[in-house]
Amino acid sequence: MDMSLIVKAAALLGAGICMGLGAIGPGVGEGFVAGKACEGIARSPEHAGLITRTMLVGQAVSESTGIYSLVIALLLMFSV
Amino acid sequence: MIDPGIIKMSAYVAAGIAVGAASLATGIGSGYIAGGAVESMERQPQINERLFRAMLIGQAASQTGAILALVIGLLLLFGGFDNPAGGWYRVAALMGSGISIGLGSIGSGYGAGATGGQTCVAMGRVPDKNATLLGNMLIGQALSQSVTIYALLISLMLLYSTPLQPEGLATGAIVLKSVALLASGICIGFGSIGSGLGIGELAGKSNMAIAKIGKGEMGIMRVMFIGSAVTQSTAIYALIVSFLLMFVL
Repeated sequence: MDMSLIVKAAALLGAGICMGLGAIGPGVGEGFVAGKACEGIARSPEHAGLITRTMLVGQAVSESTGIYSLVIALLLMFSV
Repeated sequence: MIDPGIIKMSAYVAAGIAVGAASLATGIGSGYIAGGAVESMERQPQINERLFRAMLIGQAASQTGAILALVIGLLLLFGGFDNPAGGWYRVAALMGSGISIGLGSIGSGYGAGATGGQTCVAMGRVPDKNATLLGNMLIGQALSQSVTIYALLISLMLLYSTPLQPEGLATGAIVLKSVALLASGICIGFGSIGSGLGIGELAGKSNMAIAKIGKGEMGIMRVMFIGSAVTQSTAIYALIVSFLLMFVL
């Protein structure tokens, strides 16, 4: 049996699990941030611009772990 | 050529995972909506009929994901996937299909429940905005379910458009392709949990905010749309990785 193909298969399974689990956190986190932003705008509508800007920066930071997962998944698929 | 019993085994386990995982979240979500409706009825007994209707609409929307999983589950049970020519590719694809729609419905089942529950509470606070709140609830639930549709897409592709296993292939090559098909289902299944939950919670919070704010609902709805687009992005990464696993590798 060709062992290198089995190793490659394990890498593919790892890529799927990596991207799948890695997408959970940013999804929940970004939704939570945006929900809190809506609450904030309801409380002080005059600061809507500031709140939206901060929300987007926070979401970008929260997104970063999702992008790490994507990078690792792509590495596992194409360069392992 | 493998024993058709192995393919059937895979289909049965996959059907169990699909319907079981999907029902878990929808059960919680629908209960959340009923809880919100009951809380509001206690506060505003005079609009109980409207609340009851909103509760049923919200619960129906929150159960969409479970119904999609039920359809896939029935297809897995009775769709006649026991052609032994499918080989191990078919075994892996059927398992991946069940995992994909089962896990993929968890996020939207709970998320749509969170939207509906908070909407019912908001309707009890400001009875004169009920129509806006109900419309926004349905938009939010639809957004939260979009990620389940990705999972359904991958699930159906795994069921119907995976290749048959070619004759005389080496074991290593068979394992490689089969694992890629299974990983494709796992990836979009887990990947859509987070976005479904996040968008549902966001839409619920936006309805609470609309109930609190006097004017300017459009500003809140704009933030909701931007927020759910950003939240959706990780599910789209998972969808891309799933497609790559299914077709490129």
